[in-house]
Amino acid sequence: MRPTSRSFSSRRAGLRAWLLLLPMLVWLAAFVVVPMGILLVYSFCQRDDLGRVVFVFSWENYARVFDPTYLAIFGRSVAYAAVTTVICVAAGYPVGYYIARRSEKRRNQLLLLVMIPFWTSFLVRTYAWITILKNDGLLNGMLQYTKLISAPLDIMYTPAAVIIGLVYAYLPFMILPIYSSAEKLDNALVEAAYDLGAGPVRSFAEVIVPLTWPGIAAGMLLVFVPAIGMFAITDLMGGARVPMIGNVIQNQFFQARNWPFGAALGVVFTLLFAVSYALLQRRRVWEEE
Amino acid sequence: MKTLHRILALVALLGALVGTLRAANKELNLFAWSEYIPQEVIDGFTKETGVKVNYETFASGEEMLSKMLAGGTAYDIIQPPDYVAEALIRASLLAPIDYAKLSNFKNILPEFLKMPHDPTQEYTVPYMTGTVGIVVNTEKVKEPIHGFKDVFTPAHANRIVVVNDNREIVSWALQTLGIEANDLTPENLEKAKPVLAEWVKLIKVYDSDSPKTALLNGEVDLGVVWSGEAALLYKENPKFQYVLPVEGAHQFVDLLAIPQQSKNRLAAHQFIDYILRPEVSKKISEAFPYTNPNGEARKLLTDAERGNPASYPPVGKLGTFRHIGKISQAIDALMTDLKNAR
Repeated sequence: MRPTSRSFSSRRAGLRAWLLLLPMLVWLAAFVVVPMGILLVYSFCQRDDLGRVVFVFSWENYARVFDPTYLAIFGRSVAYAAVTTVICVAAGYPVGYYIARRSEKRRNQLLLLVMIPFWTSFLVRTYAWITILKNDGLLNGMLQYTKLISAPLDIMYTPAAVIIGLVYAYLPFMILPIYSSAEKLDNALVEAAYDLGAGPVRSFAEVIVPLTWPGIAAGMLLVFVPAIGMFAITDLMGGARVPMIGNVIQNQFFQARNWPFGAALGVVFTLLFAVSYALLQRRRVWEEE
Repeated sequence: MKTLHRILALVALLGALVGTLRAANKELNLFAWSEYIPQEVIDGFTKETGVKVNYETFASGEEMLSKMLAGGTAYDIIQPPDYVAEALIRASLLAPIDYAKLSNFKNILPEFLKMPHDPTQEYTVPYMTGTVGIVVNTEKVKEPIHGFKDVFTPAHANRIVVVNDNREIVSWALQTLGIEANDLTPENLEKAKPVLAEWVKLIKVYDSDSPKTALLNGEVDLGVVWSGEAALLYKENPKFQYVLPVEGAHQFVDLLAIPQQSKNRLAAHQFIDYILRPEVSKKISEAFPYTNPNGEARKLLTDAERGNPASYPPVGKLGTFRHIGKISQAIDALMTDLKNAR
């Protein structure tokens, strides 16, 4: 009966919400919107002899992005990221689900184990993998000692090494969101599925997976998107032999001193992320319908 | 009350910030190659002068140039390679050096003065020099290796490491064709392309930071690497022999220079003079055995260090890289294309 006061209080709540959001909005503006704007402007510019950006309009950078070479590199990066994501889902789902089904004390212990690697620098951990995978490294040493193989396996500086490195780097980002979805999964629904005659496969596919889908989708985004742009692992473990889009962009800013072209690649790359995100979102909407 | 506390804290924070800004003339912003200046040497300077050194590193001359042009930190000392210094001098981005303040500058050997990158010797001081050459693991490779043509043969497929530096790699291909390394024209790149296409198929690892690692680990048996890396390998095990390619080699000179935007030129001169001291320069040579342009420092080295064929190869004067401008983007496109096609 008191519409004025009601709308007043809701407006006040709105104001407060905005105030609470302010730090995040400032952060987003300063570190996302502004840099993206700079990238967009640079991508239409040219460079001078030294590599400085010259503000003269040009489409040339975008024309070059769609050169078959760079498209092939884009494609390859996406393929590597996709393989990484699939392996991460396959390996991460059981782990996340298992942890979520333990007692609270055990759960925290297991989660700690997932987090511990983050205490060490990412690069140091990547170098550790080199020690394991190199020709006279731990893995080959063990396999040869146990007479499983006679000659050392050639793993370092191959695509396999890159995939191992990528899966290792991003697996926690798959486990954690799946864990948080699985934790919220109501066991009564799984039991109900069994009671209604669904076998383990059917109840997994039709009850458990749809209910934990938000976690899987979040994990897929967290793994797939950064894996496309990763350049340190492809350099260190792949020997920089096969160019990935992350390496190509990095090269534009350093070796080639061609910032506008690097910016154009970055813009297209970001659009690609946006599209893949939109697709996953749509998928989620379908699931809900 | 709480608000008051917060305001006080903020004021204190601002005070601290101003304090740091004031201390700027007690600080030196050094921008140098990674793995090139021993920490001991930097600590020694701070101990003597009280000037704190902020040591930031880069992995390629181009990276240094990019970051410097982008602004941000006002570097007091940079360590550009010869051709980057040439570009910086042309663009008037370096401050002239007051050689009168450098009592140890006389230690630099005359062949490293007035080089093509700084013909009037106004802006730079040589830090270390070196060559790019071939390392052979003679236990694994029995046939004699004289030049690039012996390295890049199908028999050595997947057994080669090279520095991850497109301009270097392209210059080697040019030299095998008898073209001068600095003659980087679109036509010459076209000529180098088929040669490079074959090479790219054979190379196992590209690594500029530590190409010696793949050789030490036994992943590869041959390398085309910086001479300092080769010298460390030789020190580790003399089976790693260093060969200057017969097709032609070039030397590089890494320099110390003071950018125009430096706010602490006095300390920058002090630091350069400190580096030029024979006993300091000797320490650098011990850690990173490149060719030391400091004649007095060379006298302090052991016979073994002076006899390391990678540090002091028996050659006369070699040419250096020159500034190349926009063709760098064609070089990058060429190598990306070839690596992609493999």
